[in-house]
Amino acid sequence: MIQFINASKVYPPDVKALDKINLHILPGEFVSVVGQSGTGKTTLIKSLICEEKIDEGQIIVGGWDITNIKKSEIPTLRRQIGVIFQDFKLLPKKTLQENVAFALQVCGQPPKKINAIVPQVLKIVGLENKINRYPHEVSGGEQQRAAIARALVHRPKILLADEPTGNLDSINADEIIELLLKINKFGTTVVLVTHNREIVNRLKKRVITIETGKVVSDQAVGKYIL
Amino acid sequence: MFIISFFRAIKFSIQDIFRNFWLSLVTVVILVLALFLINVLLSVQIITKSAINSIKEKIDINLYVKSDATENQIIALKTEISNLDKVKNATYISKAEALESFKDSHRNNPEILQALRELNKNPLNATIVIKPKNIEQYEELTNELDQINNDIIESKNFDNPKTMLAKINTITGKINEVGLAVSLIFVLVTILVVYNSIRVTIYTHQREIKVMRLVGATNWFIRAPFLISSVFYTLIGLSITMAIFYPFLTILQPYLEAFFAGYNFNILSYFNKNFLLIFGAEFVVAVAINMIASLIAVRKYTKI
Ligand SMILES: Nc1ncnc2c1ncn2[C@@H]1O[C@H](COP(=O)(O)OP(=O)(O)OP(=O)(O)O)[C@@H](O)[C@H]1O
Ligand SMILES: [Mg+2]
Repeated sequence: MIQFINASKVYPPDVKALDKINLHILPGEFVSVVGQSGTGKTTLIKSLICEEKIDEGQIIVGGWDITNIKKSEIPTLRRQIGVIFQDFKLLPKKTLQENVAFALQVCGQPPKKINAIVPQVLKIVGLENKINRYPHEVSGGEQQRAAIARALVHRPKILLADEPTGNLDSINADEIIELLLKINKFGTTVVLVTHNREIVNRLKKRVITIETGKVVSDQAVGKYIL
Repeated sequence: MFIISFFRAIKFSIQDIFRNFWLSLVTVVILVLALFLINVLLSVQIITKSAINSIKEKIDINLYVKSDATENQIIALKTEISNLDKVKNATYISKAEALESFKDSHRNNPEILQALRELNKNPLNATIVIKPKNIEQYEELTNELDQINNDIIESKNFDNPKTMLAKINTITGKINEVGLAVSLIFVLVTILVVYNSIRVTIYTHQREIKVMRLVGATNWFIRAPFLISSVFYTLIGLSITMAIFYPFLTILQPYLEAFFAGYNFNILSYFNKNFLLIFGAEFVVAVAINMIASLIAVRKYTKI
């Protein structure tokens, strides 16, 4: 599903964010990516959605070589990959429902389809009772759920989560991880970048450890080893 | 899908305009100033052109005929002049006709009429009014007329229209030059203001733009609302310009009428007759300029 082949990325002048990364993530996998701050985890995520371009190597997503993707094809790629972040990236002046609908509106979806999909994804993340609240009227965990709902509107094959629990207390964090596992069970490939040792150890799933842009460990049932 | 996106882009654009109300207002005001100025300039040009035409039309040469000349002599002279090829036409105005037209043009001046009555005879000469074919050949024509030696001619009245026309031409030339410079400056200012307001609008939408990119909105959909905004600015600006320019013309018209007395000239009807041409062209040019300004802003500030 996701393949990095000798992928390297240098930020000018000389920060080696990715250094000959080789990775193969299979469809339906749940993979945790761990590593110290500034080792290139976010760069890895960004290169998958073409927010950053790698300088060397190759990236293949779902059989599609996106290394030299055309600019006009980037939106198509991004509709197939859901992404969530530590800071949720919700629009503060829109309700949770409007935030989710916005993702479909800006992609030219007809109102009928929007009205069908939005309640579905909000139900999946368990927000069906709070759809008319504004982001500041709900908890951090609920904001992250709304962000997940938004990431799911295009029914992506891949969900990338860059430290999704970074701003949450442990109870909320656990709920988000539960939700990611549930989404993974539906068949979506999940890549979770995290600093949370406890979560990684409890997951008992594949763990990839990155150090200064290199993959230093890749265990099928891994532990947080730093 | 395209239609839906297009209408959404329009909706987003309208929301943007109202969300940045003051910025939109300033942009529109500058646009109105520039457009108004350009239309004033256009009017000046139309008016001076008409003035020159009316002056050209009024230019003629008067030959005053001695009082003792017989009708036949005068007709013969008139025919001779008419046959000159630089003459458009020659009209004979008899003493009586001259008096009538003199009385008519001074009908509001009782003192002159009174003096005329006291004089008790017709002091005016019979006149041959000569219209030249071409103003440029005016001097050659006067030379030819000078060579006609007929002793029934009492005097000739050659004004020199060339110097007058030259004067008008230099004045209008100056007006046009200054006007062009001022409107160029305004066009430049407009471009900068539109560019800046689109830039600021983009800046206030950074979050939205980020999210749009993240969820896979196309580049054109992200950019379209800003371009549409520039079209709206132009539409609103031009509408307001027309709304204040027409009353302005209405106020101007009586003064022009007084200036162009006896000459049928109406600036209002000129603008009405050429409405589509004038304002259509202004719209097209203004939209093009503003689109280019916003396109530059959009390309620069909404990179993928
Ligand atoms: N836009 C950029 N320009 C220059 N250097 C950058 C840029 N983005 C990241 N870097 C550098 O690249 C390296 C990797 O950054 P990255 O954000 O991928 O790290 P990370 O593993 O996500 O860190 P964290 O765990 O703190 O989020 C860091 O040294 C960072 O300073
Ligand atoms: Mg990071």
